[in-house]
Amino acid sequence: MRFLPRAALASLFDALRASGRRVVGPTRRDHAIVHDELESAEDLPIGWTDEQAPGRYRLRRRDDERAFGFVVGPHSWKRELFPPREPLYHATRRPDGKVGFSPIIPEPAPSALLGVRACDLAATQVQGRTFESAEFVEPRYAARRAASLVVAVNCTEPGALCFCASTGTGPRVGAGADLVLTERDDGFLVEAGSDEGAAILDALPTAPASDADVTWVDEAMAAATSAMGRQLDVEGLPGLLFGNLDHPRWAEVAARCLACGNCTNVCPTCFCSTTETPSDLDGQDATQVRLWDSCFTVEHGAMHGASVRPTTRDRYRQWLTHKLGAWVPQFGVSGCVGCGRCVAWCPVGIDLTEEVAAIREGAAAPVALPEPASRQPGVPDDLTPRVARVVDVVRETSDVVTLRLRLDGRVAHRPGQFHQLALPAIGEAPISVSGRADGRDLDDHLDHHFVDHTIRAVGGVTRALCALSPGDELGLRGPYGRPWPLDALRGRPVVVIAGGIGLAPLRETLRELLASPADYPDVRLFYGARTPDDALYLDELRAGTRPGFTLRVTVDHAPPTWRGEIGVVTRLLRGDAVPEGAACLMCGPEVMMRFSIEALRAAGIPDERIWITMERHMKCAAGFCGRCQYGPYFVCKDGPVFRLDEVALLFGRDGF
Amino acid sequence: MTRDDAGEVEERTFAVDLLTRVEGEGAFTLKVAGGEVVDARLKIFEAPRFFEAFLRERSMHEVIDVVARICGICPIAYQMSAARALERALGVEPTAPLLALRRLIYCGEWIESHALHVFMLHAPDFLGYPSAVEMAADHRALVERGLRMKKTGNALIELLGGRAIHPVSPRIGGFSKAPSRRRLRELRDDLARSVDEARETVRWAATLDAPSFDVDYTFVSLSGERGYPLESGETILVSGRAPVALDDWGDASPEMQVPHSTALHARLADGTAFLCGPMARLHHHAERLHPAAAEVMAEVGLERSVTNPYRSIVVRAVELVHAFAEALDLVEAYEEPEAPYVDAAPRAAVGCGATEAPRGLLWHRYELDAEGLVRDARIVPPTSQNQARIEEDLVALAPTLLALPHEEATHRCEQLIRAYDPCISCATHFLDLRIEREGV
Amino acid sequence: MASDAPAPGATGRPRLAVYKLASCDGCQLTLLDCEDELLHIADRVHVAHFTEMTSLSDTSEPFDVTLVEGSVTTAEQREHVRHIRASTKLLVTIGACATAGGVQALRNWRDASEMLRVVYARPEYIDALATSTPISDHVKVDFELRGCPIDKRQLLELLTALLTGRKPAIRDESVCMECKRAGNVCVMVARDEPCLGPITHAGCGALCPSYDRGCYGCFGPHEAANARALGTWLREAGAPAAEVKRRLRLFTGWSPAFREESERHDEG
Repeated sequence: MRFLPRAALASLFDALRASGRRVVGPTRRDHAIVHDELESAEDLPIGWTDEQAPGRYRLRRRDDERAFGFVVGPHSWKRELFPPREPLYHATRRPDGKVGFSPIIPEPAPSALLGVRACDLAATQVQGRTFESAEFVEPRYAARRAASLVVAVNCTEPGALCFCASTGTGPRVGAGADLVLTERDDGFLVEAGSDEGAAILDALPTAPASDADVTWVDEAMAAATSAMGRQLDVEGLPGLLFGNLDHPRWAEVAARCLACGNCTNVCPTCFCSTTETPSDLDGQDATQVRLWDSCFTVEHGAMHGASVRPTTRDRYRQWLTHKLGAWVPQFGVSGCVGCGRCVAWCPVGIDLTEEVAAIREGAAAPVALPEPASRQPGVPDDLTPRVARVVDVVRETSDVVTLRLRLDGRVAHRPGQFHQLALPAIGEAPISVSGRADGRDLDDHLDHHFVDHTIRAVGGVTRALCALSPGDELGLRGPYGRPWPLDALRGRPVVVIAGGIGLAPLRETLRELLASPADYPDVRLFYGARTPDDALYLDELRAGTRPGFTLRVTVDHAPPTWRGEIGVVTRLLRGDAVPEGAACLMCGPEVMMRFSIEALRAAGIPDERIWITMERHMKCAAGFCGRCQYGPYFVCKDGPVFRLDEVALLFGRDGF
Repeated sequence: MTRDDAGEVEERTFAVDLLTRVEGEGAFTLKVAGGEVVDARLKIFEAPRFFEAFLRERSMHEVIDVVARICGICPIAYQMSAARALERALGVEPTAPLLALRRLIYCGEWIESHALHVFMLHAPDFLGYPSAVEMAADHRALVERGLRMKKTGNALIELLGGRAIHPVSPRIGGFSKAPSRRRLRELRDDLARSVDEARETVRWAATLDAPSFDVDYTFVSLSGERGYPLESGETILVSGRAPVALDDWGDASPEMQVPHSTALHARLADGTAFLCGPMARLHHHAERLHPAAAEVMAEVGLERSVTNPYRSIVVRAVELVHAFAEALDLVEAYEEPEAPYVDAAPRAAVGCGATEAPRGLLWHRYELDAEGLVRDARIVPPTSQNQARIEEDLVALAPTLLALPHEEATHRCEQLIRAYDPCISCATHFLDLRIEREGV
Repeated sequence: MASDAPAPGATGRPRLAVYKLASCDGCQLTLLDCEDELLHIADRVHVAHFTEMTSLSDTSEPFDVTLVEGSVTTAEQREHVRHIRASTKLLVTIGACATAGGVQALRNWRDASEMLRVVYARPEYIDALATSTPISDHVKVDFELRGCPIDKRQLLELLTALLTGRKPAIRDESVCMECKRAGNVCVMVARDEPCLGPITHAGCGALCPSYDRGCYGCFGPHEAANARALGTWLREAGAPAAEVKRRLRLFTGWSPAFREESERHDEG
């Protein structure tokens, strides 16, 4: 530890600049202390402090000249690392149907983040788990973070809304900072936390710190810990919140909540985003742009023209259960770092600590949540599609087509996984692979592989996909998601239940099951469709009959010529339709799955042998955008195939 | 052409049921029988919106936002006249840098409005196209130049006001936020280029063929202490008569309702129809033009008193040069004000204010109570002032029309109306107050 | 909406019409304010009817897309809007007047007998309904662009989306979302400036807070607007009932969410 006299603060700027870095730090603007690029130490809010209360923030003059005599303002450091609006890739589409995609990866100038508080450093590490260490690495985020040097500041005067002592994220700056300052009247005690930090420290006109200095810092930190303006009892919170999803407090807070999204925007860990595809009028040149979204917007919960979280109660509950609960199974850490921003910047002053305390009152028993997922080491994903070509189009029904796509290279997906299909200026849609082909009838089959996607025209992108013709090009990225557990089915009777387009993700699996009678001697497909004309792949399935394969199809409505069953698919599950010891795969509308699960349970099939596909809007598919969250899971990477016992907690419940 | 059964009197009617390339919805009828005009009407059937009625009981701070909505083409004119009237009522005066900013944003509106009219609404009449889009097929560079100039005007408004239509920053005492010097200076290049383009526009407009038609106008324009009339002034000049004090204009120019219009007509007390707008401003204040505008005016030989309404396009082009050149000067001289506005405490008072909208004199009067709520509001827009003049012009035009083919004659009437750049949306929103007064 | 994407008209280009009812012209002017794009739009779209821009009017066949600004304030307009609906495939209402009744809907709260006196003092001269209502009160509307006036970028996005067949990126979210993305400091939290941003539909780019003032709600309520919660908060912060009522009752005051809350603060 070294001591830097107050008068020498400018030397820190000099040293940071000498290392080629721009300095971003706190400055006073528009009645607040915000983050901006700083020219010199004079740009710091010297002699100012902030007074905070729920829904209220005021600047006040201090009676000293402290440079960091305030806590946190409306900006968090996520603005620097995860900009509110950021281009992902350029996309082009020419009149001849040719498309092109090129990623936009920033080359950020080296920067020094000056004045990072303990809570905010922790927040950066929390958010880093989303973008850098949960299976996929977001290269834009990673580039910015790698280019950032952290000059942190210990908080000696916590604010009225601070509770980092409760969340274990402050007030003392933890590991990960390059330099740590502790400010007192005469100057700064400085510690280096990295080699680069040490090099900068060497360049400063410091004196060695005395033992008394070291003790002063420890005491100041201890005093700060006991001076927190707020407390949050975090003990067992994830299980407590998920065990109290029907607590009356949710409705009570929803009556006050504006659903404006301010809390998620000021939160330093919130990472949800959406995309836009602005283009020229002809749709020939487009840019895929990512922008901050919030679980309080209708779009965030939108699926097929409806909302999975239609009410403000649903949205507030999603936010709090995610922030303080689901984050733990998702990332192994809480999403709250105790900075208090969501309390201060809520226009109507809703206080998260108060809400949690209220839910604890009269709380029902906690539930167990899944253990934190063991994520594979991250692989980069720049979210940019590669070009695929349509080689065949099969019209399956009036609104469903199967596109056969030619891809360069080898088959990479496993049955049940999906690709993001992209059209420039129109957008992306997650589409399950519905089969592979060897393409032997095509000239270039040796250098390529061929995959089928069966698509129902329901939205703008799927309609445009369904309108493609052989020779047209499109974008494709992936594969993504968890496949069907073929190994776990081996030797058991397999019951496959599908509804409508839900048969598509099962088609390849069915082919494999039927192709290996030794491993899968008893395969039963129960398939429900709206009408006979809406049933998929019937010719193929009927042609694929083999001993031990049962195919039963039912429709909601049928003309008199229909000789098959009429009614919901659960009718097919009666009697001995589901054999003892069976394992079950299921894909279809949620309501169909709900009733089928009841029938399977009645037939004695345990949840551990039932696999379902959950549908939520998967936008980025790599776990970055937060759109497809389902309680403790991301449907895009933890699913879409789930074993029922994994999701039993939430399955069938409204609002998730 | 019709001939009645008796066969003695020739009666001809020129009419357009829906005027195009004007703001708002209007029509006209000109009926001539036996060489006499028997009916000349500019019919305004735009639905009235009763602004003066619902301004009552609103806070003085809301007036500027509300009156902007009278007109999407010239919202700043409404904001500036209201600000002026309210400040005079409250006894506050914005500081000099704030007044300069007001002139600047107002220049932006003149540019936007004049460029729209010159290139998109008016020019197609001279060059023979239904719209600027068709005109662009043959005169792409001309239309693009107009759009570029219009864009520069809008950029100026957007920077100062937040958006081009219904800007949000103007308020009593100044602006909610003043632009930074750095941001403002980013406009310099565009403004400088636009001064040249506007000069070109004057030269081009001067070559356009205008029908010969001259009117002995009574010109009405605001007069301020300095500068070409724009954002302030205490006196209203009336050619050939004594000037009128700002506060007296409401009585000097009474408005009346006519059956065929949802807009009120204004005339001088003795019934004289008058003209306000670019031609009136130039007549009264040619010597106050920016030198850049005065030079090009001299170059093309434009006289200060233009009496042919078909030539108003040249006058608007001269004003474009002025607005760009003055805006450039203001940007160059800009220093950030210490505060973006001067505070004003509410008090019971009456205040009148007038500014020069792109189309002419725009006069407001407000009565406030002690809490700063509006007790009474009165607004006199340029188009209702010009409406009587337009109808008299149609009457005067009639003899020259009889020799022309019907379609050409009709077009000439329409072109005359268009030359005034009438803003029908503005003209119609003031009816209720008078009716209410008379009806209650 | 993309499902109903316009089929090309006889000219091979989609046929566009622009109409106005009771309004200030500002929303249709927004199209002419697309200075960089206007000529290109005219290449891609056949502007079949737009009186402010062109003397041509080609009503020979149905329009693919019709933009309508303005509210319904007269019996004639009520008929007109039905005619417009019948003559177009897609009807897009633009602006606060067309989508919420506009500022002139302030008359809707007037005492009916007073309104009759005001309006019919000379019934032979003018004709006006006692109310100003949004177009969707009268006919089916396919899409709405909010704002007083509409935002140019949103208009361009709508046109581009129609031409390319994508869903327009017109997000139904609060102004706060845009305000926070812009990095603004909340005027309400940092200086007690009353702001309707939390309950107002985004689209303006958080204009008013960016210019140091509170939002006045000209885009109307967003889908989850909790006007009651904001009204309660403002009252608790000391605003008189009349002020809260006035703030809610301006350019989009007749929208159900704002209307209902403003009426809660009606005194007497």
